[in-house]
Amino acid sequence: MLSYTLKRLLTLLPTLIAASILVFLFVHLIPGDPAAVLLGDTATPQEIAALTREMGLDKPLWQQYTLWLSEVAKGNLGQSIFFKAPVTSIIADGAQTSILLATMTIFWIIIFGIPIGVLSATRQGSWVDQLTSGLAMFFASVPTFWLGLYLILIFAVGLGWFPSSGFPSIFDEGGISNLRYLLLPSLTLAAPNAALIIRLVRASMLDISREDHVRTARAKGLHPTKVAIKHVFRNALITVVAAFGFTFAALVSEAVVTETVFSLPGIGRLVVQSILRRDYPVIQGVILVIVVLYLFINLLVDLAYAMLDPRVSLK
Amino acid sequence: MIFLSRLKAFASSRVLATLGMVWLGVIIFAAVTAPLLAPFDPTEIDPIARLSEPGSLYWFGTDHFGRDTFSRALFGARMAILIGSGSVIVALLLGGLVGMLSAYFTTLGHVFMRIVDVLMAFPALLLALVLMTLLERSVINTILVIGIVYASTTARILFGMTLKLKNEVFVDAARCSGAGHISLLFRHILPNLISPLLVQASFIFAFAQLQSAALDFLGLGLPPEMASWGNMLSEERIYVTRAPWLLIFPGALIILSVFSMNLVGDAMRDSIDPRFKNDIAGV
Repeated sequence: MLSYTLKRLLTLLPTLIAASILVFLFVHLIPGDPAAVLLGDTATPQEIAALTREMGLDKPLWQQYTLWLSEVAKGNLGQSIFFKAPVTSIIADGAQTSILLATMTIFWIIIFGIPIGVLSATRQGSWVDQLTSGLAMFFASVPTFWLGLYLILIFAVGLGWFPSSGFPSIFDEGGISNLRYLLLPSLTLAAPNAALIIRLVRASMLDISREDHVRTARAKGLHPTKVAIKHVFRNALITVVAAFGFTFAALVSEAVVTETVFSLPGIGRLVVQSILRRDYPVIQGVILVIVVLYLFINLLVDLAYAMLDPRVSLK
Repeated sequence: MIFLSRLKAFASSRVLATLGMVWLGVIIFAAVTAPLLAPFDPTEIDPIARLSEPGSLYWFGTDHFGRDTFSRALFGARMAILIGSGSVIVALLLGGLVGMLSAYFTTLGHVFMRIVDVLMAFPALLLALVLMTLLERSVINTILVIGIVYASTTARILFGMTLKLKNEVFVDAARCSGAGHISLLFRHILPNLISPLLVQASFIFAFAQLQSAALDFLGLGLPPEMASWGNMLSEERIYVTRAPWLLIFPGALIILSVFSMNLVGDAMRDSIDPRFKNDIAGV
């Protein structure tokens, strides 16, 4: 297990470096002088010259990269053109919303996805299975923003049960009850991903129930429910854990849309607004943070997978 | 009994897949004949008819410019087909070539597949957003961006499949009888990959619909004046409380199209070569 961990860490490193180079190059791919791009339209020639010196933009590209990387390592992701503030603190501001939204979403995904998937698999072919499989496929086919708009129309505008947009911090007035602002967004975000988990749990449970050890368990007279839980479901969970990396990527992508629909002050909406505002330092910073996070989550997922299924690390 | 239930499942998945194909046919028909079928010019503005309810004159109602939603939806089908098939072609050509060549020429593969790894470190929509930042909003750029995003997944899938195939006896046999690299790759290996490629194509087509709608919605997809289902939703979303039909029709069209292609992909995957069963990632 230790050697597997080390091996996995070693393969992460080159990807991490390559991804950081790509994110670094992003600013250089935009037409125009990088310093002018980073400072925005209002920059004076003196400011441009100053930033050019500071970032070493007159030096060779690889030196610029190492300079940039050393600043990033110190937690300096540059200055936002729009906010006139450090990118790191702007990302930190959005983090609360995004983390809470993600947590609530994952909660829904587990609550809905896993039991429905199990139900569907244990009743394979029945009307329950056909209905849930159909619904799962439907929710995997619905555009996130469309679902969000619809939920707003019904539950916020029509019934008035929930607020339609925004999210005051849970540290502000209202405290923990402010989470109700995140209820519709988290359900919107959970729908396609729960659908995915339902399909995944169902498929892997059906796969595993064809294996020899399950047949043996049945043959020795174990109760079908016990077989389903102890032998089939436990093994199917491994597949679900393995899929979490993929789920995270889907969550990030869809959070960008969901946060925009519900006007949530999170990192996803920050990306979109920064793109529309041409606030390149913020775009670069957010992308870097998300990619690094994603790579580490994939690492953790792989390690968890190896722990749950020892065959992986022995390969 | 097991055989019977399997047969039933196969038949029912076939029925659904057929329905999916029929819907695709409808969309293609609408896309081709849009100028003939559309009762109005999709860009014609009629201030008097603003936000008219669906009726005998305006089947799907009108938007806040008084443009006919039905006519716009027909022209939107063109965009859906164009973006869908364009992205499929880019993703399969680029990803397919990279995946096959990487598996066949191992040294090349080390470089290529690391690049694919790096691209896959970016969540799909995020990568699309970043690429769109660098490009102008246009049909061709939207196709390229979505195609490139799914080229990396395609490359990885085809890499695994080609690795399995290249060690099979029939490839050895062909090599022994003097087949060159090109002949081995394209005449002996590629034909075995056609069915998984078709499965992949239907999933990418479905994903492309969702991604392009999301890009349109975020204001980073097709140019705003173009009648696409995503743009229709994006432009009219502030009027939905007064005119809910503006949300229903384009949304239903997107959902039906994605749903259909997912059904087709699912059914094809079920009947695929068992060697590749675990390679294909779907919805």
